[in-house]
Amino acid sequence: MTESKESKPKQEEQVRIGVYVCHCGLNIAGSVDCAEVAKYAGTLPNVVLAQDNRYTCSDQGQAGIKNDIKEHKLNRVVVASCSPRLHEPTFRKTCEDAGLNKYLFEMANIREHCSWVHLYDKEAGTEKAKDLVKMAVAKAALLEPAVEAEVPITRRALVIGGGVAGIQASLDLADTGYKVYLVEKEPSIGGMMARIDKTFPTMDCSICILAPKMSDAGHHPNIELFTNSEVSEVKGYIGNFHVKVLRKPRYVTKDCSACGECVKVCPIAVPNEFDVGLAVRHGIYTPFAQAVPSTYIIDMNLCLNKDGVIVCDKCIKACDRQAISFETKPVTEELEVGTIIVATGADVFDPTVLPNYGYGKIPNVITSLEFERLINAGGPSGGHLIRPSDRQIPKRVAFVQCVGSRSEKSGKPYCSNVCCMNTIKDSLLIKEHWPDTEIYVFYVDIRAYGKGFEDLYKRARNAGVVFIRGLPAQIVEDKKTHNVWLIGENTLRKEVYRINTDMAILSIGLEARKDSETIQRLLTLSRNQDGFFLEAHPKLRPVDAATGGVFFAGCAESPKDIKDSVTQASAAAARAGILMAKGHVTVEAITPITFPEKCKACGLCVKVCPYNAISLNKDLKRVEIVEAACGGCGSCAAECNFGALTQKHFTDEQIIAQIDAITENEPEKKIVAFCCNWCSYAGADFAGVSRMQYPPNARIIRTMCSGRVSQKFVERAFARGAATVLVSGCHLGDCHYINANYQTQKRMERLWKKMEQNGLDKQRLQLLWASAAEGEKFASKMREMKIMVDNVKPEEIEKGKKVFAKVLEAD
Amino acid sequence: MPERIRHAPLDLEKVKPAKMEIHLIKDECKGCGYCIEYCPKKVLEQSDEINARGVHPPRIVDESQCINCSFCSIICPDFAIFVTEKKNKEEK
Repeated sequence: MTESKESKPKQEEQVRIGVYVCHCGLNIAGSVDCAEVAKYAGTLPNVVLAQDNRYTCSDQGQAGIKNDIKEHKLNRVVVASCSPRLHEPTFRKTCEDAGLNKYLFEMANIREHCSWVHLYDKEAGTEKAKDLVKMAVAKAALLEPAVEAEVPITRRALVIGGGVAGIQASLDLADTGYKVYLVEKEPSIGGMMARIDKTFPTMDCSICILAPKMSDAGHHPNIELFTNSEVSEVKGYIGNFHVKVLRKPRYVTKDCSACGECVKVCPIAVPNEFDVGLAVRHGIYTPFAQAVPSTYIIDMNLCLNKDGVIVCDKCIKACDRQAISFETKPVTEELEVGTIIVATGADVFDPTVLPNYGYGKIPNVITSLEFERLINAGGPSGGHLIRPSDRQIPKRVAFVQCVGSRSEKSGKPYCSNVCCMNTIKDSLLIKEHWPDTEIYVFYVDIRAYGKGFEDLYKRARNAGVVFIRGLPAQIVEDKKTHNVWLIGENTLRKEVYRINTDMAILSIGLEARKDSETIQRLLTLSRNQDGFFLEAHPKLRPVDAATGGVFFAGCAESPKDIKDSVTQASAAAARAGILMAKGHVTVEAITPITFPEKCKACGLCVKVCPYNAISLNKDLKRVEIVEAACGGCGSCAAECNFGALTQKHFTDEQIIAQIDAITENEPEKKIVAFCCNWCSYAGADFAGVSRMQYPPNARIIRTMCSGRVSQKFVERAFARGAATVLVSGCHLGDCHYINANYQTQKRMERLWKKMEQNGLDKQRLQLLWASAAEGEKFASKMREMKIMVDNVKPEEIEKGKKVFAKVLEAD
Repeated sequence: MPERIRHAPLDLEKVKPAKMEIHLIKDECKGCGYCIEYCPKKVLEQSDEINARGVHPPRIVDESQCINCSFCSIICPDFAIFVTEKKNKEEK
């Protein structure tokens, strides 16, 4: 799929640009003289038509453009109006309707980046608007038509994780008619929900509502279930993933009738993980009664036959149906899927890291998960809440909230979302069974934010549950009675409490799976600082991964309750379904173009590509690009030293043309700013929308990612006498292109070093990490840099010109 | 499931396997060592004593580890070892 420029002869036709300067009512015209800007645009090279109008995006305005394209034979269109993040798609469509390739359209952002941030300086605003139009025209002249590559999509899906989210996503996709492979690493699907007793706020029995769904997933003709299996390899790209799944053997065949005779004779007994060790299981077992598949499994780490010799044949003898086979070997299944849903769930916090709560040392301190198993009628104590030390039913119980949530000390600064309501539910369950039990809940805040949650909270208070604000500093055991003392401060009453209870339940938070890194690596995903998977957009694409064709469901993305997990699972299934229903996907034509004759096969681009979309063909000594896998950051183009690679629609020539346009007049008063489309450009837009005022020195060049900003762009700006340069992108770790902005940082560090070595003031090159919400951060950077611009001496600028003069010769 | 297990199973007594007694007929042993090699719980080891056949018979290391798989008695070529369940009174 490599596209080389040779195969596409450049059409030698005269460039005819039409420029439309929009008033946007008074939004732009209020602080920019639009007629003047249009007049100026008319004087620019290649511009054959320049006009100003009130609302270019209106039907009327668009009709005008369409008409002009035909009448004036325009082959490039520039609209100077709002942010391309808002109306670029609108005008692209207008061009397409008039028969012009949509990649021949360019926008100048004179509203968010100009009129709205310079409300009280019409003169400077107008000058800046002229520059922005000039930049757009310069780029437009070099635009080339592009065809978006179309990639077929395999109509099969892989769901990783068989908790309630994975089950729901699988069922939704399977019911839509797609083949689904559901991979679960445990012997049974069901996940965390299968272990919980009741659900909040309706107090439904958890397993009773889950078991039918598990059974449906197990028997659905479109779902193929791989339990006791793990994804070991994922290759390919959106629509065309090749997945390897390692199926570990169960040593029990499908003939198993789940009669349980084998369990009775198995000599091995160990704590059952499903019950957090509160019950015993055998070497051959089923994790719980409702397990799907119901086939038993032999734990080969414990079985006496693990060394390959049948030492113990008791289960074999006990099995009437001869369903036990020690010969089975692990199998690697190879699957071809089009979409992947990651529903790997979350782990629970291990409170042993908080020694002040004594978990693991004090027998009567248990976790909320252990509580769930104890209160569950099918659990190890038959539904009786008993304390471990003497197995008596406690008369006084304490719940401690935020254990492993909202605490820097435990390394978990985030709220785990479910623990408040879980505790309220648990306290009501105790009251239901043993109404005389005294219950104390120690909390930081009670977050009862969902539908029906506040009602439940009220019910708990009315039932006599005592809520005390302020977590205990310490839990101390009374060695004689094995009761526990909770000592801390009641922050509402500002007094110290010492409360004695029979047992304490730590309401533990959720944390990212310890093996999330494996999935992250296999699917090239990103994770936030808390370890949960990062969505493509927190508001508008909350279930999409940045990697195309991959979606999230459930706690893998962040801690959430069952309802939210199910909601998200259905959303993920719908998103995956959209792709598969279409059967193909187009890739925006911002992928790289290679010039094989210049390629030295050095492999630098291969290294910086966050998507593994580039590979080095050592035989042909050139790189090959899988367009469908490319995210379009342009890091490769910035890394190439030989001009053998550039990014479509953001070519070196186009960006250089923009730099040259900025630095043509009075470069010593200007800031050449590079902003990434997703964060810092959006942040600058946000500053505009919020009408934050800042000095008009900056001229912003939009790239998809800060990783596109090549060192030579910065050098060129200085060589042409720019006062300062700003490179800005998303915060490290939040990059829209996984990790491309780490390349930006490396390049800037190299540039700073170079500037220092040549005696230049390295302050003239600024690097800013700003998110789409940090408009004020962007604006204050502009104010700060205005002072720098004023202080840069002419000699300094001349020196910069000399140091980087070489970069001008190269072109 | 990755949670660390911190409390003992509540039903541990119910599933405790019966106590076993290993019987060695030392003078029948020809010292092949199969029982030592194949015991999955490594209950046996070679002793220093010399039996009537002039070889080292096995010795019991920890009888409580025996889980009555009886593989030793199956594999012994000389019928020199067998396992029985301990009587209740002996258990105490």
